[in-house]
This record gives sequence, structure tokens and C-alpha cells, in this order.
Amino acid sequence: MKFVNLLMKELKELINVQMILSLVIVLSMFGIMGNVMNGAIDDASEEMTHPKINISDCDDTELTQSIVEMLKSSKAEVKVFDIDSEDYADILNSNGLKSMVIIPEGFTESVNNGEKAQLITVSKLKSASAMANVSSGSDGATELIKKVVTNIVAEGAGISKEQLELIENPVETSENTVVGDKSASIPLNNVLGKITMQNTVLPIIVFMLIVMTSQSLVNSISSEKIDKTLETLLSTPVTRTAIITAKMLAAAIVALINAGAMTFGVSNLMKTSTSQLAEGVSGAVGQYLSADEAINALGLNLSAVDYLLVGLQLFLTIMICLSVSIMLGALVNDTKSSQTVIMPLMILAIVPYIISMLADINALPTVIRIVVYAIPFTHTFSAMQNLMFGNTSLFLIGAVYQLIVFLVCMFFALRLFSSDKILTVSLNFGQKSKYKKKAVSEE
Amino acid sequence: MKGVFEMENVLEVKELSKQYAKVLAVEKVSFEIGKGEIFALIGPNGAGKTTTIRMISTLLTATSGDAVIDGHSILKEPEKVRECITYLPDEAGAYKNMTGIAYLKFMAGLFYTDPDKISECIERAKGICKLGDRLNDKIGSYSRGMTRKLLLSRAVMTKPKLAILDEPTSGLDVINALEIRKTIKQLAKEDGISFLLSSHNMLEIEFVSDRVGIIAKGHLMTTGRSSELKQRYGAENLEEVFEKVVFENEIR
Repeated sequence: MKFVNLLMKELKELINVQMILSLVIVLSMFGIMGNVMNGAIDDASEEMTHPKINISDCDDTELTQSIVEMLKSSKAEVKVFDIDSEDYADILNSNGLKSMVIIPEGFTESVNNGEKAQLITVSKLKSASAMANVSSGSDGATELIKKVVTNIVAEGAGISKEQLELIENPVETSENTVVGDKSASIPLNNVLGKITMQNTVLPIIVFMLIVMTSQSLVNSISSEKIDKTLETLLSTPVTRTAIITAKMLAAAIVALINAGAMTFGVSNLMKTSTSQLAEGVSGAVGQYLSADEAINALGLNLSAVDYLLVGLQLFLTIMICLSVSIMLGALVNDTKSSQTVIMPLMILAIVPYIISMLADINALPTVIRIVVYAIPFTHTFSAMQNLMFGNTSLFLIGAVYQLIVFLVCMFFALRLFSSDKILTVSLNFGQKSKYKKKAVSEE
Repeated sequence: MKGVFEMENVLEVKELSKQYAKVLAVEKVSFEIGKGEIFALIGPNGAGKTTTIRMISTLLTATSGDAVIDGHSILKEPEKVRECITYLPDEAGAYKNMTGIAYLKFMAGLFYTDPDKISECIERAKGICKLGDRLNDKIGSYSRGMTRKLLLSRAVMTKPKLAILDEPTSGLDVINALEIRKTIKQLAKEDGISFLLSSHNMLEIEFVSDRVGIIAKGHLMTTGRSSELKQRYGAENLEEVFEKVVFENEIR
């Protein structure tokens, strides 16, 4: 009953307007990001299916006129412009265009003379963003024009359509991907695209959870120390273990709420973008399996047990954070330090986060691998991959290692909390703390 | 100084010492407090007042010696000790996001599980702090004096055998300090609560306490009623007594 009283107080402290507000902001950020991505992808796919072709026919011959007519009869939205200068920037800017294809004078003549004909394309670089510059209209138009000219050239040289087809595509590849002892008929990149997306979701959530959970517990303990409410609490008829357990449990519950909300937000964001991209990919490679089918065939899909194991690892990670945060919180004596004191934890989280995104940890040189694996959070970031690729023993070693790290940290946290040190110890960033001053003066 | 109050002792401190890493902060301090008695530890900053108080409150572990509160040793039965004491730290705050009433309820819930007992405590605290409707406001909006009144009422609402108050009026204006002193005296008289106070405000001590103990450099120099001490040291007020005691100690 007394414990419930403590726990409720901790929960009320943590679940406040600020926490709800920041969660709402994070979720709406995900929403906005999702919308932005969707918008960009929509634009890109719209460009792909209904390309906008801006063309200027400066040659104006029968051939070029027929090319323009052919473009017009395709799905593309074709606009024809008359240009009279060679200032491409001015042409695009004054007409508000992203790109343009120009058939220069002498084009037909070159084709007829069996020379290489020249075609000019002009594209506008608007920003460094990949999606913003997608504009396939000109590419499509050039391809089409090339094809028409190829046919004319082939016809002139007496090459049949079948022969031409063979010359253009003399080799047909059937791409297969192998994982462990299973294989599926799908290009490697299609599988990779799908699982990379999946493996991006977990690290984002884990990283945010580590930071948010540690910060909340450090703040909770340090503010009690600064306001001296901790001294009051410790002098009441409740055990120190009950006080610390209530704090940890409350932080863990809040972490769970955050994890749930963020999983929802991030997976929604990922789902919309991946499904749209996947549609494009599977449409383009009709002869292959869909990415989902291939992932099943390759045994890369995670079972319910696997998800449970990932959850377990996440739980261990949070527990490590909490036990370390108790010690960090006890060291802090001013609000400024409570912001900076979680830096070591953040670094320990960000290093494996970045490494796991960029490289296969198992392929790193031995010394670096040992260092990276010594960071307990590495095992959380690699958990999903290990389960996906059937490295169960590696996963279990990681889980056992995390359990040991947690028990060691918890042992020291409890020892700190049950000793005099909880009131006397302090970490100073260059300034003498209130507590240290007091201890010294008492002495 | 034993036997000044012919009644059972609520607190008996026996040769209590505290050794920090390098320095002996408190050395062999002994005193006792009777039922309903107000005892004040006075001394300069860094004399060992807070360390002594923290040991008696079971926050710090004594290096040697013991203190017995209502028959329970701080070393052997710290949980039992915490059931019969309350402690108000120097310059203590309260949870700023809680309302006054929620704070009282939370603190009462750490002493009792019976809802009736908890409501009884809250009612008592309401009567003592006299904050009225402001109890429904968040503590963050309280003035220093209001917070201290709330904390004092919290410290006595459970009718502890011994209430330990570290510098109860420091930083308060005259009116608020006076009110707090009056409340302490009244509670000792009417409810028989014993108080262990610490202060370096001699005027306050002379007014509020039954007996004082002068502590300097970790040693309890002398204890007695203010009047006795003034007579013993031929001094006009406690401040002078204090000066003479500390001066004597330095010569020695």
C-alpha cells in the first residue's frame, strides 16, 4: 500500500503536461514527416506515371514533328515551347519549368547522314534533397527519341526489329538472393531495401527511449536531492529499496508508454513510405517475387517469439539505463548538471546506433568488434538482425551480457542508495556544490 | 544535565560520533530529550549540528555510539525509529507540481495505510498550517513562509514522538518565524510532541526551547536551560553564553 502510494506519486511526477505535450509533439512530427514523405513520393510516382515533357523543336522537320506527335500520344503531358535564345536558365525560369528537351537545328540532317545526332536536355537543380529533384519527364522523352532514331538508323542499315531487340538486350539475367541455406528469386537490392527499412525503425525508438528514460530518472532523483525532498522521504517509515523501486518502476512504465506511442508513430511513417516504394519496385520487376514473399522464403521474417525476444532485450536495455541513471542522478546537485550528466549514456547509445546502421559489426576487425560489443546497448541494436539472420547464439550471448551488466549496475546503485553516499556524494562541473560545501563545513 | 525534566526520555543520545573520510565531524555527543520537551542544538556553521541530526534521523550511519528513540536504537532498528520520528531538513522544499493537500496525503500515506488515519493526519495538518483554500493550489505557487508552514504541519500531523527540525525558521520573515515558533511551543505543550531543533538564531532559541546544547567543532560543549546557562557563564543572553563557550573551547 505504501509502495503504491510511492509509485503513484512517481507516476504523477513523470506523466505531466510536459511529458504528454512532448509525446504529442514527437508523434505529430512523425505525422508531418510522413505527410512530407508521402507528398514527395506521390509527386515522384506521379512524375513516373504521367511525366511532364517540355520540348522545343528547333529543327521543325517531318521527323521531329512526328517525334513530338508520338510523345503527345503517350501518357506524358507534353508542352511545346518556341525558344529563340540559348540562355537555358532564362528559358526555364521565365517559363517556370523544371526541365526541358531541345531538339536543335540540324538534328534530322545528322540522322539522315548517319551521324550522331545531338539532343539537348536542361534540368534545374533546386535543392540538395533527393526527392525534390526527381523529374523523369526529360529522361523519358530522351529515351523515346533515342528509340525512334535507333529504329531509323537500324532500318537504314537493313537490321530487322528482332535483330535490333537482340542487339539491345543480348543477355537476360535472373537475379537470386541467398540467406543461410535458403534462396529466393529476387534481386538482392529489393530484399535489402525492405529489411533496411525494418531495421531503421527499432534503432530510432531504442535511441529515443534510452535518452528519454535516463533523463527522466536522473531529473527525478536530482530534483529530489536539490529540493531536499529526498531527505524527507528517506526519514519516513519506508525502505530505501521501496523508494528506488518505485522510481524505477514508474520510469519503466513511462518508457513503455513512450515506446508504444513511438512504435506506432514510426511504424506508421515507415509503412506508408515502404508500401508505396515497394509497389513501384514490385511493379517494375514483375517476374520476381514480391519483397514480402521473398523475405518469407528467405526466412528473414520474425516470428512472435522473435518479437518477444527483441522486447526482452529492449527491457534489459531500459533496466540498464535506469540503474545507471540512479547513480548519475545521485551524483547531481544542480539542475544544469542533470542535463549534461546523461552524456556518457547518450554516447554509449549513439556509437552502436551509427555503427549498426553503417556496418556489419561481425565483420569489423577483432579489437574494434570487442570494444563495440562491450557496449551493452550494441546488443540491443543488433538483436533484430541477429534474430533475422538466425544468429540465435549471438543474440543469447548479448542478452546474458546485458543481464550481467544490469545486475552489476543495479548492485552498485542499490549500494549507493542505501549508504550515506546518496546524501554526501556529488559530481561537480567546475563549481563547488551545495552539498560538498556543507559536508566540508560540517567536517 | 540529566533530570531537568522529571519524565521519561523520548531520545537518548549516547556518545554519538561520525567520521567522514578524513575528518571527525561529530565526536562523542551525548544528550537526551524528555517527552514534550523542546531541545535546541546551537552552534556555528559546520559545528556538526546537521550531521548529528541526520544520524538521529537514520539518514547517516553513526561511526560509533548510539541513539535510542522511544526504546528503539538508530543502529539496530532504524525502521522502527522512522515510525516515531519526523524530519524537516534545512531549507527543504516540497514537490512543486503537487497541490498542498496532495502532498499531505502522500506523506501521510507513507506513515499509515488506514484511510481513516490518513484523513485524520490531513485534518490535523490543515488545522496547523492554516493555509485554507490555498491547499488546493500547487506548492510551486506558495511563498517561502507558506511552504514552511505546510512542511511543519506535515512534520507534526502524524503526532511523532520526536519531531526533528533543522533550522525551522531560516530565511523567513519575522511574522512567519514568530508563527512557526508559537506553533512549535503549542504542539509540545498540548500534544506532548518532543522537538529537536537546530539553529544559529540565539533569540529564537531563547524564546522557543526548554533546553539548549551548544555544539562547536563536533563537540557538545554544554547543555542546560537558557536561564541556567546564563547564570553559569555570567552572561546576559544566550549569545554571550555561546561566545564564552566557544571562546573557552578555543583556548583549551
